[in-house]
Amino acid sequence: MAEVRIGLEIHCQLTGLQSKLFCLCHCDYRGKEANTNICPICSGIPGTLPLLNQRAVEFAAMISLAIGCKVPNLMMFYRKNYFYPDLPKNFQITQYNSHEITTVGVDGEVDYGDKSARIRRVQLEEDPGRLVYEGTNADTRFYTLIDYNRAGTSLVEIVTEPDFSEPKDVRLFLNKVTSVIEHLGVCDTKLEGSVRCDANVSLEGGKRVEIKNVGSFRDVEKALSYEITRQKSMSVRDIEIKSETRHWDEARKVTKQARTKEEEEDYRYFPEPDIPIILLGNEFLSSLKAKMPELPDERKIRFLADYKLRDHVAQVLIENKELADFFESAVKIYPTSPNETANWIVSDLLGFTSDLKDDEGSLFSGLKIEAKHIAELVSMIDKNMINRSIAKMILGQVTKTGQMPSHILDKMNASIIDNRAIISETIERIFESEKSAVLDARQDPSVTNFLLGKVMQLTGGRADPKIALSLIKDRLAKLE
Amino acid sequence: MPNHLYQLTADHVVSGIKNRRFSAQEYISQILERIEKVDSNINAFTAVNPDDALERARSIDKRIQDGQGTGPLAGVAVGIKDNICTKGIKTTCASKMLDEFIPPYDATVVKKLKESDAIILGKLNLDEFAMGSTTEFSKYGPTCNPWNVDYVAGGSSGGSAASVAAQECTLSLGSDTGGSVRCPASFCSVVGLKPTYGYVSRSGLISYSNSLEQIGPLGKTVSDVMMIMNVIAGEDEYDLTTTEKKPASFAATPDTMSSNKISNYTLQTKKNIRVGLVEELIEGADPVVSKCIYSALDLFAELGCKCENASMKSVQYALASYYTIAMAEASSNLARYDNIRYGFEFSPEDYEWNAYFAKVRNNFGEEVKRRIIIGSYVLSAGYYGKYYLKAQTARRMIKQEIQSLFKKYDVLIAPTMPILPFRLGEKIDDPLKMYMIDIDTVVANLAGIPAISIPAGFENGLPIGLQIMANEMEEQTLLDTASAFESIVDIHRSPQI
Amino acid sequence: MISKDEIKHLGWLSRLELTEKEIDKYSRQIDEIIRYFDKLDTIPFGKGELAGPIKTVSELRNDRVEVFEGDPLRDSKNRKDGFVKGPRMA
Repeated sequence: MAEVRIGLEIHCQLTGLQSKLFCLCHCDYRGKEANTNICPICSGIPGTLPLLNQRAVEFAAMISLAIGCKVPNLMMFYRKNYFYPDLPKNFQITQYNSHEITTVGVDGEVDYGDKSARIRRVQLEEDPGRLVYEGTNADTRFYTLIDYNRAGTSLVEIVTEPDFSEPKDVRLFLNKVTSVIEHLGVCDTKLEGSVRCDANVSLEGGKRVEIKNVGSFRDVEKALSYEITRQKSMSVRDIEIKSETRHWDEARKVTKQARTKEEEEDYRYFPEPDIPIILLGNEFLSSLKAKMPELPDERKIRFLADYKLRDHVAQVLIENKELADFFESAVKIYPTSPNETANWIVSDLLGFTSDLKDDEGSLFSGLKIEAKHIAELVSMIDKNMINRSIAKMILGQVTKTGQMPSHILDKMNASIIDNRAIISETIERIFESEKSAVLDARQDPSVTNFLLGKVMQLTGGRADPKIALSLIKDRLAKLE
Repeated sequence: MPNHLYQLTADHVVSGIKNRRFSAQEYISQILERIEKVDSNINAFTAVNPDDALERARSIDKRIQDGQGTGPLAGVAVGIKDNICTKGIKTTCASKMLDEFIPPYDATVVKKLKESDAIILGKLNLDEFAMGSTTEFSKYGPTCNPWNVDYVAGGSSGGSAASVAAQECTLSLGSDTGGSVRCPASFCSVVGLKPTYGYVSRSGLISYSNSLEQIGPLGKTVSDVMMIMNVIAGEDEYDLTTTEKKPASFAATPDTMSSNKISNYTLQTKKNIRVGLVEELIEGADPVVSKCIYSALDLFAELGCKCENASMKSVQYALASYYTIAMAEASSNLARYDNIRYGFEFSPEDYEWNAYFAKVRNNFGEEVKRRIIIGSYVLSAGYYGKYYLKAQTARRMIKQEIQSLFKKYDVLIAPTMPILPFRLGEKIDDPLKMYMIDIDTVVANLAGIPAISIPAGFENGLPIGLQIMANEMEEQTLLDTASAFESIVDIHRSPQI
Repeated sequence: MISKDEIKHLGWLSRLELTEKEIDKYSRQIDEIIRYFDKLDTIPFGKGELAGPIKTVSELRNDRVEVFEGDPLRDSKNRKDGFVKGPRMA
């Protein structure tokens, strides 16, 4: 069986900044009219010089440290020279590993689940502008429309070694990286286009195929599965796999040969003369390490130690910062039962979130849920005010209405319980505690009324008697 | 008081206007008349703004009349090389590729000049994108030498030097990548300074070779050059390669008409200046040039300076290193000219993008295209180590060697140009021959040190310039030495134009 | 000897639509120039890239926003609905 090797190139926009990488324009270009978020520097006007953003360097160094990379003492920028209409200077200012100097991060490692992947390098670079030309306008057969609003925003590129062999591992790895990035606060991964991932795939000994244009992390797994299948079926029929670049077609869910000539371009890298060599230095690094936010792995250790959560529960929480934050907010409000709180979030609440929800937007979008709701719910269970089934039902109501659980309970206490599951559960408990009566009921039908009475007692008189009776009878029938 | 106000040096213009001996309007009017009279023979200007200049002159006169303060260069007419961005005024780099480019911002030096109340007269001719040594590679045609209009004015800042020599403006700004301020200064017999790399902001200077070039001032005297340096030098937040935080405040030496005062001056400067003449920079020079430079050395000795021959072995690599690096950077800097955002009238509609780029970019001039091709070559995979890296290593060697020389000497001297100005068209068909004349000037760019050219003599009516170099950020020593030389060599003449 | 093919390729790399005449002339001239550059061969291999000035991180600019007044591309001839018009992609 041919061994599959997959390597990744992740691009992460530093949306946590205010300004662009080399100029003072807003770094958030989304939703703005074309060419209204530009200045002479980022639109490539002659005579302008790049003004490096200090905080971008910090963020890039933080990302490098967080994924286990070595950060060098001296840092340089390079020019990658090629022509393209979305590139205002027809070169990109980026970083490069030469034999004299490295990029902002090298030789790292990321654990994900029980596996790990090596990081080859991390580099800080600028994003190009955007071209508008596919299928928007009949006229774009004759020309292209260029918008420079995005040009010059900061990108951190993370390149891994080809340490992956299965698409699902890639998905797990990307989840981990997303969580790390979110915990650092350098990028809002839920913003459209803020994180992108290209991949390269090869079968053992075969040529490498690069897959580009994958819109979201979720699609990476799909694209890889498709590409691996494609390559395997070619290899089985002894068809040669060419070294090439393929684009992911989102609509048709296939990879196809890149239309543009992306042959081996000679990028003629050389050091960017307008930016001096940047001395990072030990002081900078140690102060950075001191103010690094808590990372997912550290947070998990703390969850296990402080809250005594079970491993797999803690794991689910830290994989998504929003979830972990939600948990801690709830525990802050009601600290008594962190385990119970965690379980409610991880098992029940997550069940309400849509599976189809993409990586974009809040995890809880569409649900009217806040930490205070969970906190109160758990406290009500602890006080024996409700049982778990009722709690679950209440939770459902909360997510729809946003009302506090206690409020919902009040309303419920005045209303009839006609939920068969709840009544059945109550019946089960009674059958447990009134064993002799149950035995009698099998002989003497009038004892069923006694059982019914017990049900009414336990449900505060709210159970629907007709349904309760019918369920008691069914239950008795099953007893043989 | 000279007959014509355009003959005045900047210091006298400023004091004359301030003390109301004449008005700024009078002065500017005379300057504009002068341009009208002579520029058709010289072709120094690519554009002149008479209305704007007169308006500013009027406003300065009014402020003085009202007793308000004015800046240190108030009223002085300055010309700006046309590769330096002036907001609202076309800036073309003498190229078709920027035919209709109107910068939306001012270069930092232009901003500073405006703040000092200097009056920007217009833009000055250059070799296309500053690539050349004669200003013959310009879409506007060549600039002619005011001393003999059949001869080249030097380049690439030919317009900047010729305009000052012909007294069409009092001061000018040029740019110097491998000698482009000093060469025309020498050929036109004016003073031209290339500051220490990083001393003057490059923000707004349209890049040719970023790690080598600096904007540099030209004027009739060293004192005038000091005045404008005080305005334009200093750290700029828009240019990361600028470093000097202290503002410049060069003081002119005392009025040096008597040799008495000169000896006092040298005694005053705590040590005798130690002067080294770099052998390797003079050995290939024209005999009449060498003779003039050796005489200069003698003059320094008479002043009381310790004079010696100095040797710099790494000079043999200087031209190869310079051109490799300059062309490499140029090939990248010029990539942005794709005619989409700025350029000339030629719609991109219905062209495939590669074809469009290639088609419009073939409108660069010949010399520019040659350098772009060579630049791409020396950076390409397989040749990067052999050429670019070696060139940068050579550059380090040159810098180290020059710094060890500055342990023994305060200044180094050499000819600015190894030859006299030559006839228009003489070297234009032999690129390599043209490059060779930069041998004396590229060393200062490679090492990042300041260097100045000052008039040293004439031969057959054609100027010879002396080049003086000092260590990084030692402009005061450099300018003092130049000033002392200027007063003893005593060349006071103007071209008959 | 720099071949005409190499000049052609470099022309493509630099997006210059050179004529045959130009390729001819340039290959001769450039060959001569490059052979002059071969002087550099005698230089020993050293750290060439780490040649420039150095600045510390603290000397870099703060992360702040300043909106540019006006439209830097106002004078571009090819605009449509705010976009810049460029040649087609295929």
